[in-house]
Amino acid sequence: MAMTDEARDTRRRPSPPTRAGGGAVPGRRLHYSGYLWILPAMVLSVGLLYYCIIYTGYISTLDWNGSSPVQTSVGLQNYLDILQDPIFWGAILHTVIYFVGTFVVQTTLGLVFAVLLHSRVQLKSVYKVIIFVPVVLAPAVMAPVFRQAFSADGQFNGLLELVGLGFLRHAWLAESETALPTVLAITIWGSTGLTFILYFAAMGQIDPDVLDAARLDGAGNIRTLVSIILPEVQGTTVALLILTAIGSLKLFDVPFLVTAGGPNYSTEFLGTYIYRSSIQEGHVGYAAALSVMLLILAVSIAILLSRRNRQNSEAI
Amino acid sequence: MFEAHTRRGRLLLQLVLTLLAIPFLLPLVWMVQGSLAGQGWKNYTDILALPELPLFFRNSVIIAVLTIAVVYLCTMLAAYGFAKLHIRGREVFFWLLLACLTLPEVVLITPLFTTTLQLGFYNTYWAVVLPLAALQVPFAVLLARTFVAGIPDELMEAARMDGASTARTFWSVILPLTRPIGAAIIVLTLISAWNAYLLPLVFLLDSSSQTITILPQFFVGQFSNDQTKVLAGAAIAAIPEIVAYLCLQRLFERGLAAGAIK
Amino acid sequence: MPKLTLRRSARTMVALTAGTIALALTGCGTSAPAGGDGGSATEGTVEWWGWVPEKGVAPAYIEAFNEEYPDIKVNYKLLTIDGYQAAIRPALASSAGPDVFDVASGAMFEQFKDFGVDLGPAAEEELGADWQSQVSPIGVSSFTDDNDELKALSVGLGFAGPVWINQDIFDEYGLTAPTDFTEWKEVCAVLEKNGVGCFIQGAQQVAFNQDTLQAIADTINPGLFTKATRGEAKWTDPDLVEALTAWKSMFDDGIMQEGALGQQQYPDANNGFLSGKYAMVQMGYWYSQYTKADTMTAAIGAAGVAEAVPFTTVPIPFPSAVDGGTPGALFGSPDYGLAVNAKSKVRNAATTFALWLSSATAGQQIVADSLADVPSLNGVSPQLSGLVDESVQLPALQDLITQAGTVTEDRLLSNADLATAIGVAGTTVAAGDATPAEAAKTLQAAAEKAGVTF
Repeated sequence: MAMTDEARDTRRRPSPPTRAGGGAVPGRRLHYSGYLWILPAMVLSVGLLYYCIIYTGYISTLDWNGSSPVQTSVGLQNYLDILQDPIFWGAILHTVIYFVGTFVVQTTLGLVFAVLLHSRVQLKSVYKVIIFVPVVLAPAVMAPVFRQAFSADGQFNGLLELVGLGFLRHAWLAESETALPTVLAITIWGSTGLTFILYFAAMGQIDPDVLDAARLDGAGNIRTLVSIILPEVQGTTVALLILTAIGSLKLFDVPFLVTAGGPNYSTEFLGTYIYRSSIQEGHVGYAAALSVMLLILAVSIAILLSRRNRQNSEAI
Repeated sequence: MFEAHTRRGRLLLQLVLTLLAIPFLLPLVWMVQGSLAGQGWKNYTDILALPELPLFFRNSVIIAVLTIAVVYLCTMLAAYGFAKLHIRGREVFFWLLLACLTLPEVVLITPLFTTTLQLGFYNTYWAVVLPLAALQVPFAVLLARTFVAGIPDELMEAARMDGASTARTFWSVILPLTRPIGAAIIVLTLISAWNAYLLPLVFLLDSSSQTITILPQFFVGQFSNDQTKVLAGAAIAAIPEIVAYLCLQRLFERGLAAGAIK
Repeated sequence: MPKLTLRRSARTMVALTAGTIALALTGCGTSAPAGGDGGSATEGTVEWWGWVPEKGVAPAYIEAFNEEYPDIKVNYKLLTIDGYQAAIRPALASSAGPDVFDVASGAMFEQFKDFGVDLGPAAEEELGADWQSQVSPIGVSSFTDDNDELKALSVGLGFAGPVWINQDIFDEYGLTAPTDFTEWKEVCAVLEKNGVGCFIQGAQQVAFNQDTLQAIADTINPGLFTKATRGEAKWTDPDLVEALTAWKSMFDDGIMQEGALGQQQYPDANNGFLSGKYAMVQMGYWYSQYTKADTMTAAIGAAGVAEAVPFTTVPIPFPSAVDGGTPGALFGSPDYGLAVNAKSKVRNAATTFALWLSSATAGQQIVADSLADVPSLNGVSPQLSGLVDESVQLPALQDLITQAGTVTEDRLLSNADLATAIGVAGTTVAAGDATPAEAAKTLQAAAEKAGVTF
């Protein structure tokens, strides 16, 4: 009943003016208030996790093993130590390499798979399952499989011999130079399915008319991909960029389980370093300071990425 | 998306797809080989014969379903709010939310433990569901927000012209049009909930409330490690996720294209 | 009207969030845990958390315990070692922690000793005033804190040092167990010619590297390694540099499998040995369980071998790294002990259980029979029946057990940073990133920084 009253009210008015402000997202913003809509998410995530963040911030100023009654306040000393810690800088370097490597490869692969599987090919479900299953399998289970596969007498070397690349044979995870790329390959294997799913979903939003129009203009497949599809899924690409950045900073599973951060810290990341120093070595204060550094880095990178993106989209 | 009018063109697409998929398939083959090593199919039947399996399975389902419900609800509401409604300082709220994504799980465990105890959730499913959802929501909002933003305002205004309230618009315009991303969020939440290992282990005290991720523990001890059964167990545990994904598959493709044409 | 709409959605939203907000606001003022008087010693429900014993073993312990104490119900929660370390700290800090919990000697004990009650008086009551002479001394010293309080009861001891060999492979190629590195390299050369791997180590897991390093060092200069861990000798001692050199030669001269730094002791090296691909592995006393035919058959199957047939495995003294060295050191620490949570409301029942498993003959007999740990209580020895090849294995096992009784060197270090530094020395040398002398220098500096006073 109320519905019809409202409807009448609304119809009498001209359509509500849209605000020009904000403009972060393509499209105009309607001026109805949205606070209540974001409330459940804010209460849940911010409510539950901010205590954790504040707690971690507090712990980061202590020299504490996590259980002893003796907690020594050391101010910002942990942070100063971090800045001089070669393992920390090593982890940052690996993170940067990892971020660039995985982002480029897994977004490209995810995009190509999504486009191909939106096209007319046979046995779509089979391919989808093959790409999807790696996302599902726990790294803990797969770690020994990969260690075996990339060992000196493992299947990967066997494969190389088979295709005549036997001279590339290596104990892939045993050497500092090859361990990091191998870890990259394993994580790309495990997370391309995720980029695929998201691109596949995003492509569901593309208006078929737009594609048809491009076709009528004589655009080929590659041309369509670059000039129609890619811009249409740009939002997803940016989201993936942010997620990959955060994910790289807190990367833990694969390096911890497959290489234990080694050999000689060559696959150490912030996530594994935090784990090692807090759980295994009992430097809980130091690990908390590392976590806060991670948080600051992650949020600033995310803000930077989306700012730049916003400027770009406004320029268009 | 890609068009191939000739037979050769179609074959080429298929070939490219196959070549790209092979590296993804190989480790799966190695895994299945590993799971069949030693005692062969008996590795699988041994796991299926575990008396605790149905219980673990049920617990995992409960946790996954509750987490998905909470995440889907919070995410869709928030994505609509962030993308289409007016919020002063919107970006600040958004970054506050996103910051929740950044702390590693190991760091969260101790404060979360205190929180769940104080809230009285310890040793209930909520002690696992709420943190899982809290960690998943920022991620999901980030994805859904751009998706909702991509829905033309004209569609929503048309709905409003027809007399729909904001809530009504949400229900009859936003939700149907965001089905692909909704499906993606459901699948991704399912994966994170189904594979959650540390949270159930720490926050659920009773061995009867453990989840399916604890399966490997039956075969890995301090001085023993039955990798064949661990792999077989992982294969079995993955099946529900694959089935769910295949069932939801159709939803991924029906977005604006289907929804806009009434 | 926008306003109306807002109010409508407001109502919906409030309904939706009410629950969540309520949740966030309720939890203030859970009262601090009350330990009370610790309750009855013979009844109650005891929650026990640990990473050992294994899934199949714990029920046997509890069942045997209940024959004596039918009114104490013990619930065992098994976690992986990583999960345990993550979970136990917040649990003990809260009021919801377990009543009894596992603790390893060394660094883990240092972290968690403050949560336990002093079990010394209980041990005295159970075993008498001379209780210390009835149990393994390293079990007591490892779990005694700075205030002379016994914070955990050692259940079993873990020893490392020997190399285990696949006797069947050795027999097949007419080889005898190597006693020094020269012989070892010859054995490896023969095996390699026949397409069999020689020695496998999961050198990615530095804890096992420490075992090997300590074993090497002890063949050169017995006890020096332990002295260095205590600050009584420097890591730059020529003998320790020589030990690192010998360690490096294991990688360079074909003893260690190729790519050892990329593999873990469990499951990789363990499976490599059990599946018969490698003839030797460095493992401790716990490998004795594989002398039993049934355990061995199951383990070989688990390593991925179809139709498993058990082979004879025998412990040999670690070969000497230098000519005229002393082969075969053994070093050990409690594998795990049981601590009783000071906040527990059923402390007394929990203590009863911990005492039973660690100090009662019935409990210790089960520990002994598992052949994974040497029992802490003197006079309890394992049943050695059902071995794969009794004639070879029985004397070797008996020797090992006798030798274990005389061990004075620690295996697990209480200083986690020192253990990390030793691990770094091992891997940098193995990878060729540092010479043994450089690594020893770095290690010495790291040890000083970690608080070891020399």
